[in-house]
Amino acid sequence: MEIDRRAFIASLGGAAAVNLMDHEAKAEALEHYMEEKLDEMVAAQQPEKFPTVAEIEAQIETRNVRRGVGGLFAGRAGANVQKLPPMPAQPTLKDFFELRFAPANHVLQSATRAMKTGMSEEVTLACLLHDCVLSLIKPDHGWWGAQLFEPYIPEKSAFAIRYHQTLRFYADDDAGYEYPDQYYRIFGHDYTPPAYIEQTYKMLKNHKWYMEPRLVTVNDLYAFDPNAKVSFEPFQDIVGRHFKQPKEGLGFDNSPSAHMWRTLARPDQPL
Amino acid sequence: MSKRILCSFAAGLMLAVVASAQTAGKPAMPGLEATVTKVERAATASLRDCPPGSNTVNATTRPGEQFALVTVAFKVASSFQPAPMKRPTITDASDKKFNTAATFVDVGKVPEFSCTFPFRVPEGTRLKALQIENTAYDLTSLDSK
Repeated sequence: MEIDRRAFIASLGGAAAVNLMDHEAKAEALEHYMEEKLDEMVAAQQPEKFPTVAEIEAQIETRNVRRGVGGLFAGRAGANVQKLPPMPAQPTLKDFFELRFAPANHVLQSATRAMKTGMSEEVTLACLLHDCVLSLIKPDHGWWGAQLFEPYIPEKSAFAIRYHQTLRFYADDDAGYEYPDQYYRIFGHDYTPPAYIEQTYKMLKNHKWYMEPRLVTVNDLYAFDPNAKVSFEPFQDIVGRHFKQPKEGLGFDNSPSAHMWRTLARPDQPL
Repeated sequence: MSKRILCSFAAGLMLAVVASAQTAGKPAMPGLEATVTKVERAATASLRDCPPGSNTVNATTRPGEQFALVTVAFKVASSFQPAPMKRPTITDASDKKFNTAATFVDVGKVPEFSCTFPFRVPEGTRLKALQIENTAYDLTSLDSK
């Protein structure tokens, strides 16, 4: 075991304090220090203890908002919400990324990785959009997200967004998808997906487009890097080719999801 | 105290057995030399690409499983031509193949890097070889199970 001499001396109150100690006291302090460090090393190797479903449920009444509330509708970490910048009259997808989904780091990372690993443009677009709806609502975000984008994007991309939510619960060794520990943390280590998710999974396993949502989950898993530098710019061409931007602006084109875009644009409306 | 140190140390060893010998460097593909530097066992594994970023997501084993963590040092020569690379695989003593979730992304962006590839294997699996593209790297001397 290596001892960091400076850290050890600092733990005793500095060199002056050490100079006042006799040999026996120094030896004892060193032994105590090593003991603590070894315990820390062993503890660091212990797997994290994840909560149970019951423990997570017991936290419900400790919050003033429900866990499923969209990101735009609650302050981060209990803080007050901030006034949002106004949207342009005919907002585009890029406007929503900059003014409502920002910083959107996770989806930008996910799409960047998809692009770098040579995935199709439909999958890359799905990665770019797959969690944007979390600004609006969180439960069943795959279905909500697909509904939000469906009028504007290829069918395969909407399929990938809708079903990535389901496939996140099921590891796929061949595709390189591990069940993430963050799911033990947020759902509980003893969580089992509800019946509709299991039925959806069974359907997907035999579907010809299985790999589309699966590839979204693979890129999803690797897109939680706090130091990654990403931007919307590299995706302008893919968005230009595959996202049917309405000339009236998102929210004002009378599409089946126009109301969802308006809600994202104006989340402070009381009714 | 010394008994406690030994117990703590033994517990640490049970969780992560490390062999620190190295295999000789061999090209995984033209201009990319790879050397297996370490084989460890652990209950959890960090999910990072290669070269690694700071992804915060981990994977956890189920009962009866462990992660074989194979660390590889890479050196990129000026002759290296970036191209998509397959995910590495490992084989056990009976040539059963195991996959990793870790993927090569942006190889060549830095001249030297080290990656730890996690392979989910049954507890006690003896590793035989690591495969990167068309090159096999012997793991038997590094893997003390």
